[in-house]
Amino acid sequence: MSHNDLGREITELAPRLADGDVEVARAAKRAMWHCVRQAGRPDAGDERQFVVAALISLLQGSQPAAVYREVLWMLSEIGSAESVGPIAAMLSNKTAREDARMALERIPGDESVLALELALESAPADFRTNVAQSLRARGQEVPGLPCQKLKPTKQTEVSPV
Amino acid sequence: MTRYQRIDRRRFLGTAGALAGVPYIIPSGILAASGKPGANDRITLGHIGVGGMGNGHLGRGLKFRELGETSVAALCDADEKRLAASVRRCGDAGVRAEPYADYRYILERDDIDAVIIATPDHWHGVQTVHACESGKHVYVEKPSSVTVQEGQAMVKAARANNRMVQVGAQGRSGMPAYYTCRAIRNGMIGRVKTVDCWHYANPIDANPVPDTAPPPELDWDMWLGPLRWRPYNQRYCHGTFRWLLESGGGQIRDRGAHQFSTILWCMDADGPLSFSVEATGNAPTKGLWDCPPDMDVTYRFKDPEWTLIWSQPGRKAGKTEFGQVFYGENGSLLLEWEGARKWAEPEAIDFKVPPGGFEPYTPNLHDDFGMNHMGEWLKSIAASDRLPNVDIEIAHRTAILCILGNLSYVLGRKLEWDGVQQQIRNDEHANRLLAKPQRHPYHL
Repeated sequence: MSHNDLGREITELAPRLADGDVEVARAAKRAMWHCVRQAGRPDAGDERQFVVAALISLLQGSQPAAVYREVLWMLSEIGSAESVGPIAAMLSNKTAREDARMALERIPGDESVLALELALESAPADFRTNVAQSLRARGQEVPGLPCQKLKPTKQTEVSPV
Repeated sequence: MTRYQRIDRRRFLGTAGALAGVPYIIPSGILAASGKPGANDRITLGHIGVGGMGNGHLGRGLKFRELGETSVAALCDADEKRLAASVRRCGDAGVRAEPYADYRYILERDDIDAVIIATPDHWHGVQTVHACESGKHVYVEKPSSVTVQEGQAMVKAARANNRMVQVGAQGRSGMPAYYTCRAIRNGMIGRVKTVDCWHYANPIDANPVPDTAPPPELDWDMWLGPLRWRPYNQRYCHGTFRWLLESGGGQIRDRGAHQFSTILWCMDADGPLSFSVEATGNAPTKGLWDCPPDMDVTYRFKDPEWTLIWSQPGRKAGKTEFGQVFYGENGSLLLEWEGARKWAEPEAIDFKVPPGGFEPYTPNLHDDFGMNHMGEWLKSIAASDRLPNVDIEIAHRTAILCILGNLSYVLGRKLEWDGVQQQIRNDEHANRLLAKPQRHPYHL
């Protein structure tokens, strides 16, 4: 295999992720994840960069939400600084923004923290606490946006006997 | 804190003579009678997750209530049908328990001392941490976590808040495991070099169905909790979550959490362990479930050197669906299941501890190992100066074996685990997968 074979496979498989035949879509997903895991191995060399580049180009195209989400999680595993900008751009996509936030949270380095800090400034009100959560997970203090994790919200219709 | 010295069942029943030979059902009218435990002595429980295993734990919670040790005050489930059924079950037992769709209402209640968590695996870490931070003791089902980071957070939360966290790997509260541990730790088969586990395969999703809207009784958002969002699918919910790697992790994280716990006990290997792990398996080619039907995982430990093998279906050596064989320098010893539900070999049962030999601790309080295991937790809460026998730190180390077995399979490569640093050596990608970001607001 040449170094870019895994990247080419990603590009070719991606349209199948949204195939009407659910088994075809699942097979494509399995194959894409296999490429990502191969590209993440310590001795992968350039292969990792080619796969990351292929994934980024998918994010920058027009895709169904399910494809965006899958690609974001793939990048969360093997992406680095080069992935931060394209992922951060997905924070404005309402159906994919939560996955984009989690992907940024996972990618090491100052760039992803900075992207989250910038996102906090511009995030809509219903998403600000989500971004704050990621910043706290990355060791940042977020004054004025208290953690929501222990705040109950769900109600039951079941009555006690 | 130290663990209990082993209390012989006969001695315990002698001191608690009123219980000897008495079935668990005691009329409620005598529960607070003179000389009996009163309401103030009881540990007040909230049950989080009341279907499947949770329903069994609710039964035990109610039995301990009859024994005067607990009160059952609250119930929670993301499935309204399951929640309603648990309310009825409590009502039938004369207990008025408050139902909740959100466990955090239970954590807010000052009158609740402890929670029993039997939700799907992907909730164990988050709910345990939240409960400890809210001052509750925790009994949580195994596996303790689905990521290494969750396990680390659970240990930290338990210690920081001085809470007793018992994990539901009941093997160490079962007599067959006790007999086997006693025999092995005292050298009956010499130094053990290999432990070989067999287990039947993970199932294949032979009848896949498309994603649909969730049933009206299910709060799908709450059920998914920390996991990335995905649409509901009938093949990914109660029970079947076991067959997806992100949630259930297959047999190795289910039964493996039982078997590995017992094996580490027998091998005197509860401390930080460094090892290599190499897994192979065949991914399913159809359906939603992604756990490999067949799987072979080899763990190699050093100082002392020994090998642990997990195989699906493996080399079945016993009479039942799963178990393990300990191969020593002077023979072998078989143990069925996890060492609680089935039986030990007669040689292990008959083994006499030599003078000065090692006597393992097991909570020999009840005939039923499930009651034993939960009773052990309740005793540790009451004692407050010792940890339960499957304390979260022990269970976390067990879960690491399960998690890294799956991780090696997923990545298709051998991993080297540094047990002291709790990191994989020389593999940045693999280390990144020791943690997984969680959905807002269901996070550690």
